[in-house]
Amino acid sequence: MELNGGSVVAMIGKDCVAIASDLRLGNQQVGIASNFDKVFPVNDKLYYGLPGLATDVYTLREHLRFRVNMYRMKEEREITPKTFTHLLSSTLYEKRFGPFFIEPVVAGLTTPTPLDPNPKPYISTMDTIGCITTPKDFAVAGTAADKLYGVAEGLWEPDLEPEDLFETISQTLLNAVDRDALSGWGAVVHIITHDKVITRTLRARMD
Amino acid sequence: MEAISHAGTVLAVLSKEGIAMAAEKKVTGKLLDLSLAPGGEGMGGEGTEAWMGGGGEKIFLLNNNILAGLAGITSDANSLVNFARNSAQRHLFTYDEDIPVEMLVQRLCDMKQGYTQFGGLRPFGVALLYMGWDPIYGFQLYQSDPSGNYSGWKATCIGANHSSATSLLKQDYKEDLSLEDAKSLCLKVMSKTMDSTKLSSEKLEFSTMTLHPETKQPLAKIFRPSELDQLLRDLELGGTKDEHVGVGEGSGGGGGGEGNVAMST
Amino acid sequence: MECSFGITGKDYVLLCSDTSAGRSIVRMKSDENKIKSLGPHLAMAYGGEPGDTNNFAEYVERNMRLYHIRNNYPLLPGPASAWIRRTLAESIRSRSPYSVNLLLGGFDTTTSKPHLYWIDYLGTKAVVPYAAHGMGVYVSLSTMDKWWFDGMDKKEGIEVLKKCIDEVQKRLTIRFNFNCILIDADGTHTINIESEDPLADFESKTGSAAQQEGIEVPQPPIDVGVTA
Repeated sequence: MELNGGSVVAMIGKDCVAIASDLRLGNQQVGIASNFDKVFPVNDKLYYGLPGLATDVYTLREHLRFRVNMYRMKEEREITPKTFTHLLSSTLYEKRFGPFFIEPVVAGLTTPTPLDPNPKPYISTMDTIGCITTPKDFAVAGTAADKLYGVAEGLWEPDLEPEDLFETISQTLLNAVDRDALSGWGAVVHIITHDKVITRTLRARMD
Repeated sequence: MEAISHAGTVLAVLSKEGIAMAAEKKVTGKLLDLSLAPGGEGMGGEGTEAWMGGGGEKIFLLNNNILAGLAGITSDANSLVNFARNSAQRHLFTYDEDIPVEMLVQRLCDMKQGYTQFGGLRPFGVALLYMGWDPIYGFQLYQSDPSGNYSGWKATCIGANHSSATSLLKQDYKEDLSLEDAKSLCLKVMSKTMDSTKLSSEKLEFSTMTLHPETKQPLAKIFRPSELDQLLRDLELGGTKDEHVGVGEGSGGGGGGEGNVAMST
Repeated sequence: MECSFGITGKDYVLLCSDTSAGRSIVRMKSDENKIKSLGPHLAMAYGGEPGDTNNFAEYVERNMRLYHIRNNYPLLPGPASAWIRRTLAESIRSRSPYSVNLLLGGFDTTTSKPHLYWIDYLGTKAVVPYAAHGMGVYVSLSTMDKWWFDGMDKKEGIEVLKKCIDEVQKRLTIRFNFNCILIDADGTHTINIESEDPLADFESKTGSAAQQEGIEVPQPPIDVGVTA
């Protein structure tokens, strides 16, 4: 975790969710790249972030892409956030005794179905071996997790509209990573709503 | 081989702008419940992705950049599709790129060939048409048979009446077709080849492989029944009862003629 | 005690590596070529545990060659980097991990764009415009931060590289010799970075020697950039 650095945060809003990460890839104290996005799309309603050891970010991401693509082609539908969380959890638990050094965060919206006409926005997070937590407000992970908790606790409030949620999550992330030497170097935010995903790259302190 | 020559016709036409493929569905009967099948009304119309369109019986998405049309024994076909999808995802996993089209064709043909060599097992009774795009060779169209032979084509056909359809394609194929030309050629030949008088989404599956206008990434599209009917109306191939039915006169030669150029073997 | 750089420009990528081999503070060899050509438009500069390095480099080289022979076209830089990264990522969790860090440089002939990848022994991959491994990291990254800009031509790129090397020679206690290659649309070329005007030397042989080096598609040169 402390080798490459990096942080991810996700928040629930009113009929929307947001997920954001910093862009730093480091080798201990040395910054290597400022374009290392840790948040990946599954589809246009579901994103996940993988802060932690960078080699595992790639490997896990490629594992998940394989499994999600097979799921999609066989089931002929998109995976739901809840199903995806459990897929991710069992993928992590497969490596119980030699884990991926990653603490994932999932954020997504479920498409309404006749059985579940009003699904709630969904975020979840888990530890390195896949123990799931599904918070009702926000989820944080990475080297700036402790700072993120503090800022998010202060800034987040229920039922934020997409633009307000964007402001909240951006301020949370930027202020937290400024206090963390291993996170920062730019940030990217995704706001997921039912009709579109808004992706914005944030300018941040580059030191 | 026998099963294939009775199976629904699948034909495809390559152009510079993309590839069009049409496949004939064998209508089983009124009582077969298709409402939950991919093209059925029970599945709604959500999503723009290829696997959410029609299809599901003859045309399958093997990977982001590759679609295949199948003719032959359905159960064999399903298992081949599964194998192909797995192979494509394995390639994506190790190389972080979509599998090149010919490589996927080779993977499948290696497996099909295996069943012709070792005793005791029956070969896969399936012929396939593959259409796809990769950054190295661009748009490509391949055909493979149960023995594991494959070849690249500009326009080709498998299944029932394939020899007559191929000669029709040979007659009408021109270099520098546009995608629209390819689509209409595809459906026109199909309408002449099929036994029924008019085309409709009940008897037909249709798909295209193009490049996304902005991202320049491959875009596989299996037409939904409503979209296909619209296309047929635009081309005046559906609804007209006086459409010529039947077979191109005489010539039976089919594959291997001068008009069809094999790009690789 | 190693040091390697990679710099991308408008239509080329430069790879540069020191040529020393040794253990701890002792230098056993000062003309070791640590850049390997992996195909017509692909090469890597590698360093790490002696023994592992050469073994791994040859393993990669032969796998790239195998892919080329099987498919009649070489692996593009992106997929090649993914394969190398995966190989290292699997190795790090095996009983005998490779301890090799590398910079992979390549030219994508389908899009005509240069690519540079920073990869370490864990299988960490970064897609970067400029990078360094080894001791050089501490002094040359800041030099590149200052002087590198988007869309540099060959002359400007070589200038930046020379600045990095000067910085290394100035700030580090060890003296290095450097070995340098350039990959562009025509293939892989050696660059004599110690010469007064490396670009003029390189351009004077374009057409004859330089062309023969790179473009022969089915026969990628096995060893590029040996400086005695």
